[in-house]
Amino acid sequence: MVLTFIGMHLLAAVLAGPLVRTLGRRGFAVLALVPAGTAAWVATALLGPVRVERTGWVGELGLELSFRLDTLAVVMSLIVSGIGALVLLYCAAYIDPRSTAGSPRLLGGALVGFAGAMLGLVTTDDLLLLYVFWEITTILSYLLVGYLTTSAVSTRAARQALLVTAAGGLTMLVGLVLLGEGAGTYRISELVAGPGASGAAVAWGVGLLLVGAVTKSALVPFHFWLPGAMAAPTPVSAYLHAAAMVKAGVYLVARFAPGYADLPVWQVMVLVLGSATMLLGGFRATRQTDLKLLLAYGTVSQLGMLVLLVGYGSEAAALAGLTLLVGHALFKSSLFLATGAIDHATGTRDIRRLHGVGRAAPWLALAGVLAAMSMAGLPVLIGFVGKEAALAALLEPAPGWLSLQGVAAASFVAGSVLTVAYSLRYVVGAFGPGSPGGGSAPGAGSGAHSWHAPGPLLVGIPLALALGGLALGVTSTALEEVLARHTSTVSLLPGPEVHLGLWHGLSLPLLVSVCVWVLGALWWWRTRDPERATAPLVRVDAGRAYDRLMRGVDRAALESTGFLSRGSLPVLLGTIFVVLLVLPGLQLALGGTTWPSRLRLADSAAQVAVALLVIAAAVLATRARRRLRAVFLVGVTGYGCAMLFLLHGAPDLALTQILVETVSLVVLVLVLRRLSGRFPDDPSVLTRRLRAALGAGVGLVVGLLAVVATSSRIHEPAGAGLPERSVDYGAGKNIVNVILVDIRAWDTMGELSVVLACATGVASLVWLREEALEGVRKGLRSARGARAGWRARPVPTDTGSLPTSRWIAVADRLDPERRSVILEIVTRMVFHTILLWSVYLLLAGHNQPGGGFAAGIVAGLALCLRFLAGRGYELGAALPVMPAAVLGTGLFIAAGSAVIPMLLGSPALRTWDAYLTIPLVGEVHLVTSLLFDLGVYLVVIGLMLDVLRSLGSGLDAQIATERETAGRGTR
Amino acid sequence: MSPDYAPLVPLMVVLPLIGAGLTLAAAGRTVVQRAVSLTVLVGMTGLAAVLLWAADTQGPQVVFVGGWTATEGIVLVVDRLAALMIIVSSVVMLAVLSYSVGQGASSFDEESDGHSPLPVFHPALLVLAAGVTTTFISGDLFHLYVGFEMLLSASFVLLTLGGTVERVRAGTTYVLVSLLSSVIFLAAIGLVYAATGTINLALLSERLGEIPLGTVALLNLMLLIGFAVKAAVFPMSGWLPESYPTAPAPVTAVFAGLLTKVGVYAMIRTQTLLFPQARFDDLLLVAALLTMIVGILGAIAQDDIKRMLSFTLVSHIGFLIFGIAVGSTHGLASAIFYVIHHITVQTTLFLVLGLVERVGGSSDTTKLGDLARISPVVGVLFFVPAMNLAGIPPFSGFLGKVGLVQAGVAEGSWLALLLVAGSVLTSLLTLYAVAKVWGRAFWSENVAGITGGGPLRGGHHQALEAGVLVPTAALVVVGLALTVLAGPLFDVATRAAVDLTLREPYLLAVLGSGGAP
Repeated sequence: MVLTFIGMHLLAAVLAGPLVRTLGRRGFAVLALVPAGTAAWVATALLGPVRVERTGWVGELGLELSFRLDTLAVVMSLIVSGIGALVLLYCAAYIDPRSTAGSPRLLGGALVGFAGAMLGLVTTDDLLLLYVFWEITTILSYLLVGYLTTSAVSTRAARQALLVTAAGGLTMLVGLVLLGEGAGTYRISELVAGPGASGAAVAWGVGLLLVGAVTKSALVPFHFWLPGAMAAPTPVSAYLHAAAMVKAGVYLVARFAPGYADLPVWQVMVLVLGSATMLLGGFRATRQTDLKLLLAYGTVSQLGMLVLLVGYGSEAAALAGLTLLVGHALFKSSLFLATGAIDHATGTRDIRRLHGVGRAAPWLALAGVLAAMSMAGLPVLIGFVGKEAALAALLEPAPGWLSLQGVAAASFVAGSVLTVAYSLRYVVGAFGPGSPGGGSAPGAGSGAHSWHAPGPLLVGIPLALALGGLALGVTSTALEEVLARHTSTVSLLPGPEVHLGLWHGLSLPLLVSVCVWVLGALWWWRTRDPERATAPLVRVDAGRAYDRLMRGVDRAALESTGFLSRGSLPVLLGTIFVVLLVLPGLQLALGGTTWPSRLRLADSAAQVAVALLVIAAAVLATRARRRLRAVFLVGVTGYGCAMLFLLHGAPDLALTQILVETVSLVVLVLVLRRLSGRFPDDPSVLTRRLRAALGAGVGLVVGLLAVVATSSRIHEPAGAGLPERSVDYGAGKNIVNVILVDIRAWDTMGELSVVLACATGVASLVWLREEALEGVRKGLRSARGARAGWRARPVPTDTGSLPTSRWIAVADRLDPERRSVILEIVTRMVFHTILLWSVYLLLAGHNQPGGGFAAGIVAGLALCLRFLAGRGYELGAALPVMPAAVLGTGLFIAAGSAVIPMLLGSPALRTWDAYLTIPLVGEVHLVTSLLFDLGVYLVVIGLMLDVLRSLGSGLDAQIATERETAGRGTR
Repeated sequence: MSPDYAPLVPLMVVLPLIGAGLTLAAAGRTVVQRAVSLTVLVGMTGLAAVLLWAADTQGPQVVFVGGWTATEGIVLVVDRLAALMIIVSSVVMLAVLSYSVGQGASSFDEESDGHSPLPVFHPALLVLAAGVTTTFISGDLFHLYVGFEMLLSASFVLLTLGGTVERVRAGTTYVLVSLLSSVIFLAAIGLVYAATGTINLALLSERLGEIPLGTVALLNLMLLIGFAVKAAVFPMSGWLPESYPTAPAPVTAVFAGLLTKVGVYAMIRTQTLLFPQARFDDLLLVAALLTMIVGILGAIAQDDIKRMLSFTLVSHIGFLIFGIAVGSTHGLASAIFYVIHHITVQTTLFLVLGLVERVGGSSDTTKLGDLARISPVVGVLFFVPAMNLAGIPPFSGFLGKVGLVQAGVAEGSWLALLLVAGSVLTSLLTLYAVAKVWGRAFWSENVAGITGGGPLRGGHHQALEAGVLVPTAALVVVGLALTVLAGPLFDVATRAAVDLTLREPYLLAVLGSGGAP
């Protein structure tokens, strides 16, 4: 049921927007029905047995939607739902829906959502769910305090309240987990009823838990956020920051007191902070001129008092605490709402400007006076009953006066004096005749805002709340019957027997009360002048400390980020190298490495020679300052690797490596045309030495790792049985090709997509402008056309040049000065031969050296030749399609060939083979992996075409354009 | 006898690759590209759902590609962890793609939907999808590397879309750092093969237990360094905020969601399957703490929301490493849950940021203001995932965090408790960073004179089209669903973590049944 009611709140919160938009402010009255209904339902549980509901949520975390409606929960639910309903109703009269300063829709949704969260908070029996609701109230409070979203004061206060309470909440979360993990249960009822808790973990857990309570209930030293939160609209302040949310901390203390009130950490935190807060808040409240701030500091003081009482640990104090908790909810919300009505009517809350409100709005004044009397603890209101009970519970401290309890008792009395003083200040300030300078009309002195009488709801609701305090005061014996059901469980510390009531005879508490009233009145008289400057009590201002802390965080963030996250590429790479040097280096040295007893450095002298060559080239490459030189030296290291492969007996690998190196060289040379000849950076000698040392160090570590790793092998490697398997299962004698297109074809397919992505990426960076690309497309179209025409009839010669010089397709379009006839002739003669060879490599590759990859590169080199002979025109004539089409088709074929076996119910990429006898050719061994290899072939050709077209002719065009502009510029 | 779902596994890679081929060949025909990409990703999401169900109810789904045995060929394995990862990555990629497609022809980030001269967005995104899946389902160390390469190349293309100076610079940083990490990874693979003679993960799991422990520790360290760069673990995290924020919104969204998580996934897999005997938990815990704190301080220092989010991304990687390094099943389960949450929430936030840019014309908080009133929809769409990111209950970020805190407390060592404190502090500072952004961009005065129409583009104001709003909202809803369905999800994550800790289910699935002859 509780869950259903919470769900209804959530639903109402979601629907609040449309509701308020269509009904205007009356929408708030509709929303009020939800908490009102909840309150009515909860009231039925007031005297019945404890109801427990449990629904699973995240079992692994111990987080369940469990609710337990015991007396404390019911009383709290009545407060949050009842006052919630009244506040929403009040909003229906208070909020101006036409105002653009804030969003009434958000207000409605957040308020009703808040009521739901509070309901959950006070009824749940799960530690973590408690935290869930706890933080939801924090967030909603944030949104509501920042209601005036464009006001810097509001948003700053909102953020402050958020951070302080969230900091406390997160601390509490750790405490909750410490307690939950320690006890092995996250059920509050089991935790509190469990065997006497002790140990460091419990002490820490309880301490951290209390930090949450302290921040939420605005106790010293975190009290400063609450006055700031008064930036919220007044009904919000009445509800969140007086009646409900700030009570969450008090509730938490009350909830856990039966289990932990005797722990030293509990005693110290609850009593010391409660006392200090009561005094500090009360003192500040006596000096405020803004009614709302006065009430806010009053709330701080009262929260300290409540925490002190409910956390005291004796049954008597708990009873007094709960009585005052109920009383405070009634009178403080009444006072806030009355203040809101005054603000609404006069346009100010400043007691220096208010005058005559009491005369003009007598019912409102009655509400205010009654509520303030309850606050001051005057008979016959609930406040009086509670104060009497509290005095009875505290005045005979068991360990004597020189103890925490004694200090608490003294602070309670002193705080009560202050409470009387600021209650008087409120009543006189709000409803009194005001300063003599004011005019005859009620309201603000300066008259900027004309008086208009507050409506019936604005007066009626505060009055109803105040009368509630009166009614409970009169019927306090009945109240005791209810509250005792909970307080009888609080019995960790001894205390006197206390009962609620208006008359206990001429007892010590009554005498003290009378003294408190007199002293309070005197204090008020001394400080009654509102014009007097409000000097701070203590120089250390917690609010300012917060500001300093946040500024410190900001500065630390800026400085640490500036230092650690500079984002310079050399630093980024250097850091990785340092890690690579240090961590494995240390592990090698200290980690119990098993070094090989014997080390064979090389198999043959040739290996040593090649290795030395590679090393020399690498060192020279790092020293090179010219790009071209560096490129060639890096190329040497690559060819060196190919030699090593060859020496190991892997001609296929060597061939592939050589082809790749060659293509890389071509590409790099094409790119270098657009770059300056030398590297642009010129690092200092020191930097260069450091880099060299780092590089050498990393190389050394990785080399040693290789020594250790190779010497650790005890298993037979995967490659051992492959040669036979590749013949009988892969149907191919060229093991490298079988690996590429069958055994590890899945890798190859992935790498094809890498090739495709890289090629398209490069092209997309070269062809940034639509026009440039359009030019290429047009060229290709005309090339296709010319090709068709060429086949149809003899080549027309539009100039008088010799037709015999047309060795290549587009000879007539080339600049005669840049032509090389020999190259053209060679190209003409070998192009088709090379292509044929590449097809042979593709087909024969499964058994002979070759394969799709090598074949593709060979075909690509043929295209290279055409490009060199006749630039982009010739390339277009050779293969008049866009590279993307070739690449895409290739990948499509390769990936598609993986699916075909799956359709036949075999594993992806399964290979079959068959022997076909073709007339003239003879017997042909057909292997299905050829289809995959064809995909590889096409992707590689596509890559080559792409590189030549983008880095070749694309850059050609760019260079030409730049020359042209430069030429025009000089002219 | 229930049907065999394993044959569906290769489709998770083949489908996007076929799609990539088709979309590239169909360059210029945007409608075809969109139809193919959407079909592929919808298909992948459906497949992933089936595979998750199959992996959870019937154990790991194993495919021996080409019928080769585990010793010879490549094995694809979808166990619970992999299945969780592929489904969440498919869902976010589908959302991102829908967002890109929904941008309309005159879009703000027009490069991200085939409107550049060379329409490479769709093929690159599909290759990225294939790469992400490849990494998750690979049962082979080298094939894992291939997956990384696919990611790297595709993300390079996506990062430099449009080819502006800053994007190319960002791309350069990204590519060089990524290549370095790949080289480290590749060297590590070479060393692993040298030491054990195999790169099949299941076989490695057996063989690494039989060779000297010192060697195993070294191999682990090398792999960890390679993965840590990918995952942006401090001190090797500086590249991320330098490269991500410049890309178009949908691209940054998919990067933020997935790329670093691939590194995290590789760490989870290798630490549990390969190196249970030679882990570097204390080292990882320290790195996790530093990653959290340094990252979140970086986030606080930013004015630009994209950069801020990039730093929170780094910071929260710390949470994941914490979960891995704390060593218990609960910690691992929480880390897995947190990964799922984090992928979703980071992607969502960057997509929302695309909306913010549309409405406000910028992602710089100094140029924004009052957005909550100008566009309440964007306000809500930002606020919910932002709170989720900050770990505010009841959202999934909170649930994952609670699990980690519980695991840390249960572990009980001072280092673990320090991590607990660090993660709580990080949460608070995340909230601070988020509240700062909210206060500046969504509250406060509208100093820049934002009209809500966004920047002028081709003479028209950019209104918020349903095409971008719906995918973003859908992803926000997915985030909420992670909260509502957290119970079952955490159960699956826990079962996944138990599998990982036991190792038996994985080994049995790969080695027990052998392969085709």
